[in-house]
Amino acid sequence: MTVDNLYNWLMGFFPGITESPILLIIAILVPCLALFLFIALYALVAIYGELKVSSFMQDRVGPMGQGVGLHAGKWGLLQPVADALKLLTKEDLIPEKADKTLFIMAPFMIFIGAFIAFVAIPFGETLIIADLNIGIFYLLAVGSLAVIALILAGWSSNNKWSLYGGMRSAAQIISYEIPAGVSIVIVIMLTGTLNMQDIIKYQDGGLFNWLIFANPFTFIAFFIYFISGIAETNRTPFDIPEAESEIVGGFHTEYSGMRFAFFFLSEYANMFVVSGIASTGFLGGWQSPISGYFNTPSWGVFWMLSKIMFLVFVMMWFRWTFPRLRVDQLMNVCWKVFLPIGLLNIFGVGIWTLIFG
Amino acid sequence: MVKYFQNIWITLTTLLKGMGITLVHMLKIKRDNVTLQYPEEKWPRPERNIGFDHDNYNVIRSRLHVDMDDCIGCLKCERACPVDCIKIDTVKVPSRGEDIKEIGHVGVTSNGTRKAMVVTRFDIDMTECCYCNLCVYPCPEECIYMTGGPNAKKHPIDYEFSEYDRSELVYRFAKQGSKDGIERIMAEQEAED
Repeated sequence: MTVDNLYNWLMGFFPGITESPILLIIAILVPCLALFLFIALYALVAIYGELKVSSFMQDRVGPMGQGVGLHAGKWGLLQPVADALKLLTKEDLIPEKADKTLFIMAPFMIFIGAFIAFVAIPFGETLIIADLNIGIFYLLAVGSLAVIALILAGWSSNNKWSLYGGMRSAAQIISYEIPAGVSIVIVIMLTGTLNMQDIIKYQDGGLFNWLIFANPFTFIAFFIYFISGIAETNRTPFDIPEAESEIVGGFHTEYSGMRFAFFFLSEYANMFVVSGIASTGFLGGWQSPISGYFNTPSWGVFWMLSKIMFLVFVMMWFRWTFPRLRVDQLMNVCWKVFLPIGLLNIFGVGIWTLIFG
Repeated sequence: MVKYFQNIWITLTTLLKGMGITLVHMLKIKRDNVTLQYPEEKWPRPERNIGFDHDNYNVIRSRLHVDMDDCIGCLKCERACPVDCIKIDTVKVPSRGEDIKEIGHVGVTSNGTRKAMVVTRFDIDMTECCYCNLCVYPCPEECIYMTGGPNAKKHPIDYEFSEYDRSELVYRFAKQGSKDGIERIMAEQEAED
């Protein structure tokens, strides 16, 4: 949508031309640049939030400081900037025995996987970079790109910890994609569309028209999707691919400086994407919780972002509350709990729509 | 089958309980927080030590301090120092026991001794100081002492004197510009003679 609008607006300046590939490229690049800046800004906010949430939950005060000089600014507000500068200026190490091409490729791969998912997330009624008619399917497909990057990183590091991490992440992400997909199927069943905007438009009319409250089965499906999503982003309590106490740093053991920063950035970007899909599919996206009020496009952006940031906060809340799962527990939860309940959910939603729909 | 659902139920309830605990801690930040913002906030010092008042100690090994108005430049502390961390330079005054206003020199000490020397340099390197207190005993004017403890009335205790640069730990007690000032005065006097 955004790209089309921008393209048409640019074409308006040149009345004689009917088609221009250069303008199309500009129309694609400008939103992508804006999106990149948005991700960077969001990552700074999320890192600061994570530091503060963790410290408040542990009865600490977190990063604090009085001035700009040697401290981290008022309330430590400059801490994420200092972290970013530290990562930028750190030495870039590549192990001697590593597979250099793949080693360099992996951070880019994981970031591309996170970045292109942002393209289909609707921030508002018209504020979506690509309004694909298979939006949610695209997001699920793109979400699995991370697995390739993680295995690449684990394999190319030529390090036993990294390889363990890569293998674990492969097992974990591939497993958890199934319950996540099964939960999304429920959304598609009820809305009858794969288009992100149409899914949101279906949930028009206040809090109780959101899909999470449509029936008991969607309520369960939301939690299955959200928890599987956390598992897909490799966050605690599902962080066995990078379990610090078991396998040092997992797939990013050998990475340092900017390359590590890309893994870090994509973890936060993936959190945003998972929260974005969850709020689009179950929490009404940019729809206001009160029917008829606060429904202007700018309020829509506010609602979408606040829903996403709330879910990101819940992820942080999980991280600082729960201990890490063991590998067998992780697989148990996925295959013995989420998958059967998810399949039952599909059945239940079908019956429910047949009777009450 | 019952066990399966029981397990799920126990998992959910215990997880929610844990989340409740962390949320309560997060929202009660002001009351539960134990972190001390050190340079701005400090733990209160105990009023008394083990059974003795501060006055009962003959020494508290804190930072060395010199009252320059009382120092007569006798170099006894410099000689007493086992690690040579005190460096004193002196210049003879033109007339004994008289104030020299230009360099802030006080002619008579609080004990009534008339000074014969202007101290142009009195450096104590606290990185070398071994806190033995040996420089304090020979001082005839009792002007060099450890801060705090029995001397708390003269100077409050100071045991936190870390610096970003090591050279900052060399304490220079001599009055600013006294070296140049006294040299100029002596030169003027010589010219008059």
